[in-house]
Amino acid sequence: MNVIEAENLSKTFRVKQKEKGMKGSLKAILHPRTESVQAVDRISFTVKEGEMLAFIGPNGAGKSTTIKMLTGILYPDGGAVEVLGINPAKRRKQLAYKIGTVFGQKEQLWTHLTPYDNFRFFGAIYDLSDKEAETRIQELSDIFELDAFINTPVRNLSLGQRIRCELVASLIHKPQVLFLDEPTIGLDPVVKENIRSLIKQMNRELHTTIFLTSHDIGDIEKLCKRIIIVNNGRLVLDDSMEHLKYHYLNKKIVELKLQEDAPLPSTEGITILKRKGSHAKLEIDTSVIKINDALHHIDAEHVEDINISNIPLENIIMEIYKSEGRELAVL
Amino acid sequence: MSMVVKNELRVCLLSVKYNIMREMLNKVTFLTNILFMALNNATFIVQWVILFSLREDIGGYAIQDVMLLWGLAASAFGLSHILFARVFSLPELIINGKLDAYLVLPKNVLLSVLTSATSTSAIGDFLYGLIILCVFSFSIGKFFLFLLFSITGAVIYTAFALLMGSLSFWFVRSELFGSHMVSSMISFGTYPDGIFKGMVKFLLYLVIPIGMAIYQPVHIMISFDAGKLLVVLGYTFLLSAAAVFVFYRGLRRYSSSSLMGAKV
Repeated sequence: MNVIEAENLSKTFRVKQKEKGMKGSLKAILHPRTESVQAVDRISFTVKEGEMLAFIGPNGAGKSTTIKMLTGILYPDGGAVEVLGINPAKRRKQLAYKIGTVFGQKEQLWTHLTPYDNFRFFGAIYDLSDKEAETRIQELSDIFELDAFINTPVRNLSLGQRIRCELVASLIHKPQVLFLDEPTIGLDPVVKENIRSLIKQMNRELHTTIFLTSHDIGDIEKLCKRIIIVNNGRLVLDDSMEHLKYHYLNKKIVELKLQEDAPLPSTEGITILKRKGSHAKLEIDTSVIKINDALHHIDAEHVEDINISNIPLENIIMEIYKSEGRELAVL
Repeated sequence: MSMVVKNELRVCLLSVKYNIMREMLNKVTFLTNILFMALNNATFIVQWVILFSLREDIGGYAIQDVMLLWGLAASAFGLSHILFARVFSLPELIINGKLDAYLVLPKNVLLSVLTSATSTSAIGDFLYGLIILCVFSFSIGKFFLFLLFSITGAVIYTAFALLMGSLSFWFVRSELFGSHMVSSMISFGTYPDGIFKGMVKFLLYLVIPIGMAIYQPVHIMISFDAGKLLVVLGYTFLLSAAAVFVFYRGLRRYSSSSLMGAKV
């Protein structure tokens, strides 16, 4: 069952234009000029119930605008969108009872209150009775291990503790879809890992559909099974993470530690990226040469150490951003 | 339907309660803010006492009438800032995309925004108005009318600030114009309307709604007139409806923002 259906979703902003300097400012008063910026350009996709989806793209790609249209914050200019069978622009309040949002850059908790008081406030917002709110807070407090600081004012919490509380506040009403916008921004690696495992647990135990945007490749790689990439307002890739990794990933990096004067292979499909003293870094294009054939070209007698790795997912995504999905086969 | 209204009110009251709790975090600051605002207002009594020692009548007002005017202006302004302080920073929320946090909640956006902040010193203004009424012209009838007009005055202040603030949905930098208009409403509210003539009087009743927020209510409290009372109530309702309509029309143009921010 699809929980999100977007078809040809579009949004245009009017942006004021001004020539440089004081002269430009005066001219802008007399003859104001605006330009249309297509923030989202006919994006179509669906999300199934219980899916964990990464919705990514470079800054200004249209991710946040899309999320804001899905949650009813912004009105689309064109196309159709339904979340849980509800049109967000027309029935925003009704939808809000069924979805949760966490914006890593925008705090929703009252900082002078304790997490417990905040959760009670959010319980009231979602019309939970005192008893329902109490039960739910206890349930989530156990899952997210909040007992140690549930009665400490939010302003005295660490960033990691605060994000855990933000997640709990967004889950108080058992949302079916959770929109996470940069949930791990600014967190240290240990806390990031902790938050990721909590999100996974939430998806597993509460069957919450996760719609994630993040610039953190770790979030995407460790959480999501499907990835949608947008750039310049357009959808450039919609694929499974597995497919992206193993079918588009046709280059391997080989790092070698050699004896000083050992020769390096020179054949089609092998590119020498770096050579410094006894260390060398090669790139092998497996669409041209098989990896074992490439290894045969390396003189094993002169090799002291070898390491073979995939191109990092980060690089693949960067290439997709640059090519906008037109030349994926090159990767 | 009644359940929806009940839940909306429950959240609004919780919001106001938490706002006041936030202001009370530092007890000394909280109490001194209230006290000094009341004292600050009281200094104007001296100014008017001196003026009335020179003339018996200013713009058709005796000293107790001017005090009633001051008291009502302070209480209406105070109530508006205690309950709906955020309306006075609405342009900032619109320009910096800070309405997002309210738009993802299943409650009335406007009510959630309006009740999301309070001003401590406004409690001083509100109490000052009540004290002035008790000292200069107390009667049971006047007391209840004063409370009613503090509410209608606060609603008119808030509605006018909402109208002015909503201009930011359409016009960049309109917040300066809006804040001047709202400030002028406060300034004019502390002078007897009898001193204003012609075009200025026209402006004070039709453009800056101080006539219906303060002047007419003071006239009614001095000499009760049921017809005028209905006009004030009707005007309050119409202005509020217009402000709400303009806010929601503007909200359709809201373009959000990617600025980082926090609720503090």
